[in-house]
Order: sequence, then C-alpha cells, then structure tokens
Amino acid sequence: MEREQHIEVRPPSAGGNTEEYWLNMGPQHPATHGVLHLIVRLDGETVREVKPELGYIHRSVEKMAENLTLLQNIHLTDRLDYLSCHMNNHAVCMVAEQACDIGVPERAEYIRVIVSELQRIQSHLLWWGAFAMDIGALSAFLYGFAEREKITDIFERLCGARLTMNYFRPGGVAQDLYDGFEQDARQACSDILYALDEYQRLVTGNLIFQERTRGVGILSRDKAIGYGCSGGTARASGLDYDVRRDDPYGIYDRFSFDVPVATAGDCYARYEVRMEEMRQSVQIIEQALKDLPVGPIQAKAKPVLKIPKGLQVFRQVETARGSFAMTAIGDGTATPLRVSYRSPGFMHVAALHEMSAGFKIADLITILGSLDPVIPDIDR
Amino acid sequence: MAVGLDLLPRYLDPLPGGKGVVSAVDVIVNWARAHSLWPLVYGTSCCAIEMMATGAARHDIARFGAEVFRASPRQADLIILAGTLTEKMADHLVTLYQQMPDPKWVIAMGACTISGGPFYYDSYSVVRGADRVVPVDVYLPGCPPRPEALLHALTELQQVIKGETIRNRRASKELTTAPPVDRMAVDLAAWEEEQDEHIAEVEANKAAWKEANPDFQAYKHPKLDKPKLEAVERVKTPRRGALPSALWAAVAERFDGLSLATCDEVTEDALAAMDADSEAILDLVIDPERYAALVGFLRGNEATGCDMLHQLTAFDDGEQISVLVHLLSVSQGHKVFVRCALEREAPTLPSLSGLFPAATWHERETAEMFGVVFAGHPDPRRLFVAEGLKGYPLRKDWSDPSRVVAREL
Amino acid sequence: MSEPAVPSALEPASATETVAAPTSAIADWIRDLCGDQEWLAWVVITLIGLGALAALASVSAMVLVWMERKVSAHMQLRLGPMRTGWHGALQPMADGLKLLFKEGLLPRTTDLFSYLLAPFIPMATALLALAVIPFSETWQLADPELGIIYVAALSGMSVFAILIGSWGSNNKYSLLGGMRAAAQALSYEISLLLVLMTAVLMSGETAMQAIVQSQEGYFWNWWLIRAPGVGFIAFIAFIISATAELNRAPFDFAESESELTGGFHTEYAGMAFAMFFLAEYVHLLVAACLGAVLFLGGYLPPVPALAFIPGPVWLLVKAFGLVFLFMWFRWTFPRLRIDQLLNLEWKFLMPVALLNLLAAGALRGWGWL
Repeated sequence: MEREQHIEVRPPSAGGNTEEYWLNMGPQHPATHGVLHLIVRLDGETVREVKPELGYIHRSVEKMAENLTLLQNIHLTDRLDYLSCHMNNHAVCMVAEQACDIGVPERAEYIRVIVSELQRIQSHLLWWGAFAMDIGALSAFLYGFAEREKITDIFERLCGARLTMNYFRPGGVAQDLYDGFEQDARQACSDILYALDEYQRLVTGNLIFQERTRGVGILSRDKAIGYGCSGGTARASGLDYDVRRDDPYGIYDRFSFDVPVATAGDCYARYEVRMEEMRQSVQIIEQALKDLPVGPIQAKAKPVLKIPKGLQVFRQVETARGSFAMTAIGDGTATPLRVSYRSPGFMHVAALHEMSAGFKIADLITILGSLDPVIPDIDR
Repeated sequence: MAVGLDLLPRYLDPLPGGKGVVSAVDVIVNWARAHSLWPLVYGTSCCAIEMMATGAARHDIARFGAEVFRASPRQADLIILAGTLTEKMADHLVTLYQQMPDPKWVIAMGACTISGGPFYYDSYSVVRGADRVVPVDVYLPGCPPRPEALLHALTELQQVIKGETIRNRRASKELTTAPPVDRMAVDLAAWEEEQDEHIAEVEANKAAWKEANPDFQAYKHPKLDKPKLEAVERVKTPRRGALPSALWAAVAERFDGLSLATCDEVTEDALAAMDADSEAILDLVIDPERYAALVGFLRGNEATGCDMLHQLTAFDDGEQISVLVHLLSVSQGHKVFVRCALEREAPTLPSLSGLFPAATWHERETAEMFGVVFAGHPDPRRLFVAEGLKGYPLRKDWSDPSRVVAREL
Repeated sequence: MSEPAVPSALEPASATETVAAPTSAIADWIRDLCGDQEWLAWVVITLIGLGALAALASVSAMVLVWMERKVSAHMQLRLGPMRTGWHGALQPMADGLKLLFKEGLLPRTTDLFSYLLAPFIPMATALLALAVIPFSETWQLADPELGIIYVAALSGMSVFAILIGSWGSNNKYSLLGGMRAAAQALSYEISLLLVLMTAVLMSGETAMQAIVQSQEGYFWNWWLIRAPGVGFIAFIAFIISATAELNRAPFDFAESESELTGGFHTEYAGMAFAMFFLAEYVHLLVAACLGAVLFLGGYLPPVPALAFIPGPVWLLVKAFGLVFLFMWFRWTFPRLRIDQLLNLEWKFLMPVALLNLLAAGALRGWGWL
C-alpha cells in the first residue's frame, strides 16, 4: 500500500563527519502509550526534532456526535479518555444541564465528586506505573495496577463496568450508591495513602529515578500557556490553574484542597505534582464522604434534551490529564449541530518537541511518559 | 515453517508406525505452542487497559505462559487486537502481521475489532471489523471485555492450537485480498429475513389459538413502579474573572461594528443580563479581515488578558462555516469566545500560530475537517485522517457512502 | 602458587588427590579403554566434557529462565507460569520448543552473513567460559594458568555478537542498541578487569582452581571478608560491572525494551532469538559462578564441617544466590541513561576500582593478606 512520504530519506548533515537520521517510533511501540507515532530526528542519541503524527486512533467521534442525542453521547466520551470517563461524562451532563436548565440534587453532586476523585487517583496510579515502566522500573507497573484494581472494584459494584462507566446522567447519576460504598471508599483512600508512602520508598527516593527525571524535559511557564497546557503538566511549570478551583463546576467550591504547583517544569516536577494530586483527591473524597447527604440522586428532566438553536454551550472539567472541554452548538433538535471536544493531551503532545529537543532518546520516552497522554483522547 | 516440520508427514506417514510419530510430534509441538503464546505489545485504545490489567497481578496472564509481551513483532506469536482499528492503523497492522513469523494467531478483543462496535455507524475512519484486514482466530466480545474474558479467549485459543496438525495447516492464515464483507450487514439481513418468517409463523399460530380459545385473556405484565423524580433548581456556578460588560467595553473601544452571537443587538440591558448570568460568556462575532487583529488584541490587552488559546475549531450550520476561538485568561479566569463566519467556497483566515503555538495543531485539525485554509500556517499537513479521504468530513454536505454506514434516525 | 595446570587442560587440576572424583574415574576408564592411543582418549574426553558442559549450560539456562519468570512474578505479587508442569516448571521447555519450530525469518534488508553469525557467538563464549569454572577439586574441564584472564577475554567477546548482530540486522533500533552495547562494554570491561586483578592480587593466583584453594577454611577466609574492606568494595564493583557486562537492568541499554523495542535483537526471530535469549542466561550463570569463585570461596563449604555436601552443590548454591541478586536488581531498579551509565563508570566506578586495586596491592605488600 502506498503511503505518503513525510520523511526525507537523507536529512541534512549536522556538519562534521556525523549525519543526522530519522527514526520512526510507533505507531506500535511500547513507550508511545498506544498508537502515537513520533518521527524523531536524531543526531546519534540526541533528539533534534520530534514530529508527532496523530490519527491512528481517530474514530470520528465528533462526526458521530452530530447524529446522537446528548444522552447517547455520554457513552462515547467514555471511550475518549477512558481513564477519566467519569469526568468526561460530567462535561457532557453539564452541557445538557446548562442547555436545558436541569438542576442536580445534592446527593448526586456529592456522588459525582467522589467518583471523579476516585477515578483521578485511579488514573494517576496507572500513569505512575506506566511512567516508572518507561524509565525501566518494571515492577512498579504491577504495583500501580494492584492498587488500581481496588478502585476498579468499587466502580464495578457501583455501575457494573470496570472501565467505561457511563454512570452520569443529565440531572444526576444513573444509580444510587450501593450499601457499603462509603466504607469501601474510605478503605480505598487509606490504602492509597499507605501505597503512596510505599511508592515514595520504591521509586521516588530511588537515585536512578531522580537522575533520570530531574532537569529533563523542561517546559517553561510561557510555553505551557502558549501551548494551552493544563492539568498536572501545566502546574508543574508554575501555571497555577486548576479548573476545579479557578472555573468551579459542580460543588467543587465547597471543598478545601490544595492545588500543587511546582516551578521546575521538568519530569520530576510533573511527577511530584501528580503524586501530590492523589493525596489532595483523597482529601476531597474524605470531605465529601463526611458531608454526603441523603436524598434523591436524579432530578426530573425533559425526556428529550434539546439545545436551543444557535446556542453555544461550553463546559470544561478537570480530568486527570487537564482541562477537558465540551462545546455543543444546538440547532433546536434532539441532536446537536456540532459537538467538539477539547482534549488536554492534544496540547501536551503538541508541546513535546519544545520539551525534548536536545535531550537523549531515552529522555524522550521519559518526557512522553511524564505527560500522561491517552491517545484516543488526543485523536478523538 | 522451520526445520521442515511440514515435510514430516510426507516421509513418515508411509513408514509403519510413522503416523503415530507424526501425531506424537503434533501433540508435543502444539503443547509447546499453546503454552508459550507471546503477545505483541499492541493496543490502540480502551481494551489495551484491560489487556494490561490481564497482565497485572490480579489476573496474571503469566499463569498461562503468555506474559512475555514482545515489543518486536519478530518474536511474537499472538496479536491481541486491543482497541478500535482505524483505516490509518490498518496499514500498519498488516505490516505487523506480515512481520511476525509463522505460526501466528490473532485475538480480536472487543466489539470494535469484531464489527466496529460503537463506531459502526457514522464513522468515516473506523475499520468495521479487523477480520477485513487480518485473519482472526478468536473473537472476544465486550466493550471492553473483562480480563477474565481475555483469559477465556486465551484458553480458547490454546484449544484451537491443540487441535491443529502439521498434516493440514489451515489455509485461512493467508491475508485476504478479497473486498471486505460487511458481516454485520449480511447477518442483519439474514436475521431480518428469518425474523419475518418467524413472525409470520407466530402470527398464524396466534390466530389459530384465538379461534380455538375465544375466551382467553392474555396475561398483562404489571407496570414497573417508576420513581417519581422532582425537578431541582439549578445552581449556577460562580463567575471568575472580568464581567462581560467590562470586556465588551474594552473590545468595543478598539473595534467598532462588533456584535455578539448571543443577542441580536448589544444594548445596556443585554450586557447587564449577561453580567447577571454567571455562566454567560462573551461571544464576539467578527469579520474575517479583523479576526487576527481582534484575537491579538484580546491576548495583548491588559483588560482582556486572554493569554491562553483554549481551543480553535469550527462548525458548519449548513450555510456558512464559522470558526470558533475559545480564549481563556489563566490569570483572571474569564473566557472570551470569538467566532468568524466564512463562505463555504474557499474559506480563508490568517493563521494564529504566531500568536499562540497551540493554534498550530488546532488549525491543522480545522483545516482537515472543514477545509478552512489558514494563511501563513507553518505546517499545513493533514493531522488525523488517512490519505485517500476526500472532502472535509465535518461539513454538513459531506458524505461518502463507501466508508460510512449512516445511522437511520 | 599452585602447580601449573596441565596445558592440555584435560587432566584434572588436582589429579594428585587421593579421592577419585567421578570425572577422573571416567577419564581413567576411557584412557584404559583407548590404551596407548592417547589422541583418541583426548578426543573422546574432550567431546564428553564439551557435551557435559553444553548439557549443563542448556539445563541451567532453562532453570534460570524459569527462575526469572517466577522470581519476577512473585516480586510483582503474581504467580507466574502455573499451567506447564509443577508451578510451570516446563515453561522454558515450551518456550524453547515453540521457538525451535517457529518460521525462520530472514528479513530482506539484512546482511545475511553477519545476521546469521551473530546468534552463535554469545552461546559459544558462554560455554567456553564455563569450561574453566571449578565445580569441585576435580570437576573442571580445564584449568589454564591464566584462567582469570581467559574469562575476561571471553567476556569481552560477547559484545561482538551484539555489535555484529545489530549491524547485520540493518535496523535503526538494532544499531542504536548495538552502539550502546559497544560503548557500555568498552567502559565496563575496564572496571571488571580491575576487579579481577584485585582478586588476583589478593589471592596471588591466576588459575581458577588455585583462587578457590586460597580461600580454604572457614567462611571468614573468603576474599569478600578476609581482605578488610578491599574485598567488599571489589565485590560490589564486580556486581555492578558484571550487571553491565551482562546487559541486564538497570544497564540493559542494548535491549531497553521501552525505548528501542528490542534493541539489538529486534529483527531476530525464532531460534536465532532463542540463542541470544538462552546465552544471556548462561552468561548470567557464568558471571555468578565467577563471583562465587573469586569472592565467596567457590565450591568450598562455609564451615569445613559441612564438607560432606559435595562441592558442586556449594558452588551452585552460591551462584544461584548471586543470580537471585541480579534478578532482584532487574525487577527493582529503573534504567539509567546511556550517558549517566558512562559517567558512573568513568567518574566513579573505575577510580574506585583502581584505588581498591592499589589498596589490595598495599595490603599484599605489607603482608596483611
């Protein structure tokens, strides 16, 4: 099959007796977290240029969304960033709620916050394992997964799915909490705090790990803003912006939590910020569990959710990766005129070249891992 | 095949007892192959997470000798097709499959690789069924399947392998060049036909029964008790950052003739209403000539201070293509939207990539999906879709029956 | 100094011992059978010895593969292979058979000669190195006087396999892996040699058998403990440089799966890959045996009272202990970066090993050893 040649066969020489060359990493490569394709210009082991090539898992979700109602869209957003599907669902539900003026009962709001934060921890645990594996610590991956399974169990009892939950609904959530959920969630929280201390000894304190991540892949604050970075990646570069605090949605303004910010902008800063985020999520969950009210979990909503013609509804949420936004433009019918998703990883991978040029090829893997990309989220 | 294993039956079968030897070799070789399935590191989307979970401690695929995930296809025996297969990836999947040495097996994990799954309808880029591209040995339904299900698929595959013989290697391993068959459509048609017959039969029986038992009362199902839901008043989230009226004042001072998308005429009352509504966002409409100037002003001006390009996209309302720019002020917290309507024929706008590096990729995506040309763009390549897709898929008038199965509404 | 070993390397090193060990009995019997045709006895004994070595190598490689999978599994809270025999004991057998019967691929772009040559080298060097490892006073295929130099020379050879294979594969990932391996081997060979020299200096011997004999007695006579400080530092340096020589994590740059997919063996399939794969484990055994011989008293029991347990058992126990250590490293540590690896060698490990060598010399010179 003929493919377009993006790559010149022989790149210009760097001078001297050395010659630069192109290396294709991916789409099938163990470190590209799926099917990202990096076209890398190398000088020996040193990275000169990175060109990410997308679209290997572009599933035309936005086109499909034009023929689906908002309710039907929820399950598709599960499959975008499958590690933050509760948060993605939240964005869709909030768009529907704003467009059709649906209120959400208190209990449902609390449930939303609890499961979202649980999932943030779950996603970060997976990232922690995968990141350590990218650096070469193979067992960490398994430890991360072992902890993650505990939260997966809670979700499974809650909504019947391990990964693609499809749990939020406009005006509430699909089912009420099961008996014993609070106990399970508390248990999971204390397990996580214990595990985090263990991880500190296993990976964070490891000299090799620190050598590999400190000073590697520096993203300055200006670049982070310029590239539209968000989430842990941006906060590690000193960009103090968290959608939960600075553009509050749901009931996030009721909880007290810190937004960890680092200024170094390197892989280690991104690592530390995410590790701290897990602790903060535990804090939020504990507060929410304490205040969890009793009551209905669903509000009355219209059977058909129509976005008024010409109305543009924009809602952003803080997923585990950063700011995920959904924009829906209505045409007065049950299906929206246009749905567009803003994925956080898209901008992070766009900034990959800025971070990795000049570093070694092994660092490129570290940097990509520290960005925590989910490729279906990027490609949509 | 290595070491001429295929030749064994030819020379051994005629000998007395030779058949037994060949069978014994079969048993041993199949045992080895079944218990040493090294999967390729291949995962495109959600199913890959469950595949990883299968490899992790709880489920431990290693018990079946299959934990040696090989990154190089040369050393792999098995591809677990974890995740949706798109047209752009299909080429590479074929390459990977061809790079693997025989014997090799494929597990189609998840609904996407079986039939396209949730992406069967309306998708212009998803291959509806991985067996259109490579031969599949085990189909594993689920979206995504549980790790236990993957283990089940693996044991099923082991049974398949143990049933193979060197006498008669299956011919289905060849890559197909025949045009793809939409198995779902075929099966659906067959099912519908069957269903029609069935319904006719049932109806006839019903009529006969009614005639025979004129007094019969059909059982009525009790209605499920629907929970009575109460409407809840919506609590709006508080506003952060500057008020729309202040932003409008700053912008209107510099640009005259601006309008807002949310109201027909910008009046004091309209602005006050926007200020009162904490979720209202200033949605400026600008002409293409002053588009770049307006965005530059919004970014550079202290009062507006929109330092981050949150997103750049477009929409097609059937008449015009409108480019949407979402700007965010990280320091203050407010958002400003800019939209710019363009003609369908050759819509052109200046590129914002000089102002915001983030615009580079968003503009590539918008150009690809809507055909908007961004003048001065540093890297005007396609971003997502495979080569060979004609037209601009997100335009309302785009259709391509050869690759899209439209959903009947 | 012990008696110089017989150059033909056939006669057991300590043939004067009164205890008739199995090999010498078999050798004597074969010599009897062959009568005065000594060349025939030489050929037969050599072939039997090599056969025994090959058997030992393949069996131990399989055991080590199984061990690696089980050790890693249990370190990761898993079970590991369970379905092939008792706790998956036949798993390496299944892997080996499967690889044997895989299609032999010859990618079109490869350089055939070097591509096909490379897989044979590591196995050969590993077997040759195994030949000088003393399993007991008599169980040793050859005991050349410069045995330790011979082992060092062979360990330097194995990097050629990686270089040749990666060059012949004609793949950029392979080439990167090969170049990394070359830089790494070149550097770590130096500190490995310095460590070996330290051992030589401590014991005053270069033949393997003699080095073991120099640690006769209780376990505090082992060089790890006997030479105060020096032995311990040398042992640590040996473990680090041996891990690097073996291309095992945290120094697995040649392979580094998360970066270079498969590194030098990216293009190798089936049996050719199995050769690399198994040789890696034989090398592991050789390195562990070498460590046991140099620092842990080889086949000698820790307490003379335990001498009723045969020497080979002691050697294997010690060697497998070291193998476990190597495996522990692999499944715990992250990987270094190539420039950090070289920094570690040239700026830290080599000076330390050099100073340690000087210290050993000083100790020896003052007669404290």
